[in-house]
Amino acid sequence: MKTKNILQSVVLLFVLAVTSSCTKWDVAPRDQISTESLSETKDGIINVTNGVYALFKNQVEFSGFIDDNNAYLRQYFQMSDFASDDIVCGQVTTDPLYYSFTYTHSPDQSNSRFFWYVSYKMISGTNTVIDIVENSGKIERTPEVNQILGENYFLRAFSEFSLLKFYANLPTVGNPDSDPGIILRTTANEPTKKARATVTESYNQVIADAKMAASLMNTSRGKEFASKAAAWALLSRVYLYLEDNANTIAYADSVINSGEFTIEPASSFPTYFPNAIASDETIFLIAYTQQDNRGKFGSIASMIYSDGNSGWGEEFASESLRKVMAEHLEDVRWKYIDTLYKDDGTVMTKNGIPIFYITKFSFQDGDPNLSSPVMFRISEMYLNRAEAYAKMGDEAKALADVNEIRKNRGLEGSLYTSVPSGKTLLDVVLEERRIELAFEGQRIFDLVRNHRDIIRKYWGYHIKGIQVPDIDPNNPPTGYPELVIPWNDPSVLYYIPADEILANDLCVQNP
Amino acid sequence: MKKILFFVGFVFLTLPLFSQVTGTVFDEDNNTLPGVNVVIKGTTTGTVTNLNGKFSINVKKGDVLVFQYIGYQKQELTIESLTKAYNVTMVPDVVNMDEVVVMGYSNKTKTEVASAVSVVNADKLLDVTTDDVGTMLQGKVSGVQVVSESGQPGSGSQIRIRGISTIKPGNEEPLYVVDGIIGGSFDPNDVQSVTVLKDAGATGMYGARANKGVIIVTTKTGTTGKTQFNFKASVGMKTADQGNLKMMNGQQFYDWSSELYRDPETHEIDKIKFYQYYPRELASQNYDWVNNGFKPAMTQQYHLSASGRNDKFGYFVSGNYFNDKGTFRNTGYEKVNIRLNTEYHFNKWVSMKNNFNVYANRGSYYDYMDMYYTYLALPWDNPYNDDGTIKYIDGNTPGKWWSRDKINPFHTIENSDHNSKGFGLDYDFVLNVNITNWLSFSSSNRLSFSTDKSHDFVSPVAAGPFHDKGYIHERQNNWWGGITSNMLKFNFDLGKNSITGLAGVEINGGSNDYMWVEGKGLPEGFDVPSVASSELKIGGTSTLEYFNSLISQVNYNYDKRYFLTASFRADQTSNFPVDHNTAYFPSVAASWLVSNETFFKDNVSFMDMLKLRASYGVTGDPDIGASRFMGLFSLSSQYNNNPAAIPYQLANYNLTWERTNEFNLGIDMSFFQRISLTLDLYNNVTNDLIVLVAQPLSQGFEHRWENAGKVTNKGIELNLNAIAVKTNSFEWNIGFNFAKNSNILSGIENPFYSTVNGVSQIYRNDASIYTFILPKWLGVDPETGAPLWEKVNADGSKEPTSKYKEATPQEVGKALPDFVGGASTSLSWKGLTLYASAAYQYGNDIYNYTNRFMDNDGHEPYINAIVPKSDWKRWERPGDIATHPSMQNAELSTENSSRYLEDGSFIKIRNISLSYTLPKKWSSAIKMRNVVVSLRADNVYTWTNYWGQDPEVTLSKGDWSMPGVSDFKYPNNHQYVFNVNFNF
Repeated sequence: MKTKNILQSVVLLFVLAVTSSCTKWDVAPRDQISTESLSETKDGIINVTNGVYALFKNQVEFSGFIDDNNAYLRQYFQMSDFASDDIVCGQVTTDPLYYSFTYTHSPDQSNSRFFWYVSYKMISGTNTVIDIVENSGKIERTPEVNQILGENYFLRAFSEFSLLKFYANLPTVGNPDSDPGIILRTTANEPTKKARATVTESYNQVIADAKMAASLMNTSRGKEFASKAAAWALLSRVYLYLEDNANTIAYADSVINSGEFTIEPASSFPTYFPNAIASDETIFLIAYTQQDNRGKFGSIASMIYSDGNSGWGEEFASESLRKVMAEHLEDVRWKYIDTLYKDDGTVMTKNGIPIFYITKFSFQDGDPNLSSPVMFRISEMYLNRAEAYAKMGDEAKALADVNEIRKNRGLEGSLYTSVPSGKTLLDVVLEERRIELAFEGQRIFDLVRNHRDIIRKYWGYHIKGIQVPDIDPNNPPTGYPELVIPWNDPSVLYYIPADEILANDLCVQNP
Repeated sequence: MKKILFFVGFVFLTLPLFSQVTGTVFDEDNNTLPGVNVVIKGTTTGTVTNLNGKFSINVKKGDVLVFQYIGYQKQELTIESLTKAYNVTMVPDVVNMDEVVVMGYSNKTKTEVASAVSVVNADKLLDVTTDDVGTMLQGKVSGVQVVSESGQPGSGSQIRIRGISTIKPGNEEPLYVVDGIIGGSFDPNDVQSVTVLKDAGATGMYGARANKGVIIVTTKTGTTGKTQFNFKASVGMKTADQGNLKMMNGQQFYDWSSELYRDPETHEIDKIKFYQYYPRELASQNYDWVNNGFKPAMTQQYHLSASGRNDKFGYFVSGNYFNDKGTFRNTGYEKVNIRLNTEYHFNKWVSMKNNFNVYANRGSYYDYMDMYYTYLALPWDNPYNDDGTIKYIDGNTPGKWWSRDKINPFHTIENSDHNSKGFGLDYDFVLNVNITNWLSFSSSNRLSFSTDKSHDFVSPVAAGPFHDKGYIHERQNNWWGGITSNMLKFNFDLGKNSITGLAGVEINGGSNDYMWVEGKGLPEGFDVPSVASSELKIGGTSTLEYFNSLISQVNYNYDKRYFLTASFRADQTSNFPVDHNTAYFPSVAASWLVSNETFFKDNVSFMDMLKLRASYGVTGDPDIGASRFMGLFSLSSQYNNNPAAIPYQLANYNLTWERTNEFNLGIDMSFFQRISLTLDLYNNVTNDLIVLVAQPLSQGFEHRWENAGKVTNKGIELNLNAIAVKTNSFEWNIGFNFAKNSNILSGIENPFYSTVNGVSQIYRNDASIYTFILPKWLGVDPETGAPLWEKVNADGSKEPTSKYKEATPQEVGKALPDFVGGASTSLSWKGLTLYASAAYQYGNDIYNYTNRFMDNDGHEPYINAIVPKSDWKRWERPGDIATHPSMQNAELSTENSSRYLEDGSFIKIRNISLSYTLPKKWSSAIKMRNVVVSLRADNVYTWTNYWGQDPEVTLSKGDWSMPGVSDFKYPNNHQYVFNVNFNF
């Protein structure tokens, strides 16, 4: 009797166990979305597009972990400006940013590998959106969708162009028709291994993408996002690199004549960068909100500025740049160079190098590490145009554009009426460009594409092996091989990351 | 009424033939023993002794009573008188030949076991004072490599059984089974025994998850009638084991720094220049950061338990408290664990077990940077002001601070807090129903809940990035899990043939939720998230996993001579795509107990036991986490406060299980009742390795999950135990174990790499997992003092180069050892026992990552350096044969290369203990059954050539870690403990 009951309940339990094991087996993650379901919600492609913008600022897992040092824009600025003559190195470090100063690059350096990787992650995101909009047939092509599509073409063009600047000869250097450019990834289903296109092919792709972007974008989402004007600004810059003067001028004109933008006046220029989002100077910036504050370990500012605790503060405005600016102490652009003084009024030094902090990436919301870096602004359009005019020999128009900048920088009394003796027209334009766009990731390429050497005849730790007592504040360094890097030195280029070469044997390494 | 009538009738009927006899059963110490089974031989009639150990039973003259009790030898008693009261004394079962081996789903006697298993009992396990069972197993089981990677109180160890069979990141630890149910928590003091299942014959029952071996933990239950109490207390002291890592003092670092001023022309030190920047008094400024950062600390452990049993009810209840202070400033760990195990027999057919284990812990942890600076701060800087207060240092502090970074780690430690609190509950419910005398049903169920919370806080007072702001980060984690296994078990005993087996269903699932908050802008003196005023951030998600299994096993034995076990398991998991989520895991094991053959018994006298074993089976490993096969975009980010989806993972809808074919041959021998020897040979081939295959970065992804290639682990294991001397009062035991494993990859289409901090390991055919690939260091050019690496030309010829970027990465070593093992010995004389154990490891290489900084060539002039090995020499002038390059000519010399790859072999005295069991008359004088006092030293000494912290280096792949690469870690401890153990 009892046994029978037990037996029954046992069998019941067993059956229950077997039946309840028919569980739901497709468990989807709760904080990730599958590629297949992106086209199923109206926000899918917008979220992926925002993801591409987020990659400019995010610390992305790489090589197994998230390194605070590794964010796209941090590398974008450091890998360019630290190699230029605008910033001096105040301390030897094991952070690979040091190799930008010393030109001792290796295919293993993590900052460059990360930059390459995230650039292509951006491109992968844009390819996903372009593929869904153009090929899935699930998305209606409204103006808003075209805007999103255009932003993706813009972002792809921007990433490709930035890769080209670091990893390939500039079009005015070497032989663009045969020199290797970058690996072009333009569809959602690319072959795993792919060779580098030539420099010319690569630039053609950038231009095609940027033009497509300009034609598609008609409902701007704000300066934090790409817009028609941003695509024009990009085209103006790319044509400048190609020395296509007519197109440089044409696209600069398009931006200037759109009427949307005005040069920030001298009165407010000192507070422009912390407040760039609200300014008519800005064409396109990458928005950092409070939660994107990367602090001491990851902000762009922390290497070049410190309030004592906020950053490392190891790299400063160079003597070379300060000399160019020294003529006009009234220039409001000095406001972005913050000199650290001792109690006795002399300039404080770090390891023998005078401390001139750089503040273009600080003080959004008052925070020393927060800024929304400006990628394109109207002043550059005047300077692009000035350079094109200068190369065409049109002195009047070139100087007019330069003066347009100077008027707004507290130099109304020092406008150019002619080219000063001992300088060429191009010298004048490039000098203005250097001061205006200092620390914005342009200088090194402006030098190289114009066949000008990188001259760093000042004390700093770009000179390998020097010790503090070697530094003679009264005399410039002499005899060190690092003081002049010829514009055509192959070490100007970064190596293709070792990871790429290992997994993609079609890709050739840089010399 | 009916029942009474029946009973009366029964009594009446039996009277003429039977008479009731009474008696009492005692244990070896003359305590009465309740719960002993008393059966009339040849019948099923029987009874059980009551709480006072008494029994009464109706017998007739000439009947034989059989007394049986777990842990005691069977006793038989012939009834000669029906009026006499019988006293029976049970004798403990010391012949361990047939001890019960807990195998998870079933128990077997040692004779029956046909697979490679090792059992470690409580007494042997608890010879170290720790909260971690892995540490307890180190060196005790052949084929089990245990690495105590960190001395942080509360941290666990890493366990690898028979080499490495998987290369994917994530969990590489063996599967734990507590009290017969997968998963669970326990306190080591409550452990009765640990069984390590090593081959597929044994682990096959856990099929899908058994790839990395299985560790079966059994907690204590009530065994004897009278309530027994046990109280243990351990109190000790520990110091940090810095291994061969010693940082320079003021004078040593002063001399080191002067090398920076060696003139490249004259090769003499330019003293004028040097003294100009480095004042001479520096040499006598000697602050010992390491000795002040690490201080001796106290460890304490208390355990109180009670257990008892009668015919219906058995229980074990215990409480443990563990308090372990850390040697590094502001670290420690505390844990309370309470266990209640009960067992209730409703009647002959139905019994149940209810086990609870509850724990709560809290720990204080260190911040990596604080430890980093403690090692690297210069002896020329003092963290304290002259008045004894702690110094505040930041980038703007006037006065000289020589160390590279303007930070005083002790000030940061004082003004920050990193702690965690954990709480967990496991409830097991087991129902056993004997349906017939050959068929039973068992249902084992567990609910697990655990929660832990971590808290990271930096005060606004601290220097550094959070100065004037403060920082708080808290994370809360919740786990809910459940498992139910329902099985029918059968058992036929047909003369010489015996068949047992089981079949059942197991369902397992769990979900994990976490949430974190972060904020800055804290008012001074407050440290909760609510008071944060700026940069508030929040995150969290939830994951879910299911696992279903069908389990079956059949055991057959003939005449206790031939044994056969076959099992079959089918598993299904949510971790793989629906089309690939099911896998089947068969296994078979056979053994021949030669010593039970008549010819053996008749002819071989020196050998008491000889058993030959063979097993083959398939095991698997699904442990990759959820959704690894999907193409995914991560949503845990934002742009301009809008949701953002970032390319996260490439899809692979063919991803499926990793499966290992395991083959094992073994032999068990025992000689003269004194020496026992176990030898095993195995060959395990893991197919369809789940691998993160590197993609060209230009795909926008670093890798993709794929099934690619296989790994073969081959090895030999030897376990030897001997009683060297045994007299009435003296006994000397020796134990030794050895395991050699070789690990070979194959079937990999394209070699791939894993790289952490620029250190790479290659995965290619015919190489071991974790093979380092680095530029090969050739030393120093005697002419120039420049570093030399090896450049391999396209034609295979080799030449030295001083240009790092020309150096060719080559295979220069491996992180896996050739062999590992341990040894132990004990000497007992009367109540006194001296015990010592050792663990060893041979043939592995360690990448000494921290020496890239501590042993640099002037690249980092303002961080402290390691005191050099006696045979190190820095190049000074042409012609010098040196190990270290000239500081003036050392470009990229500290970049990753085999320069920092060192031999990681070691022999370690794990512990030495001296214990004394008080004589009976003394202990009974204080009403104790048994009292043991002991003194113990753990981690006594390590012999190694490795020049850094101790050579126990991580074996796991993590965010910042790579197997065989050492980074600054919390040093292990030397520990000296006094213990008392009372049984009453």
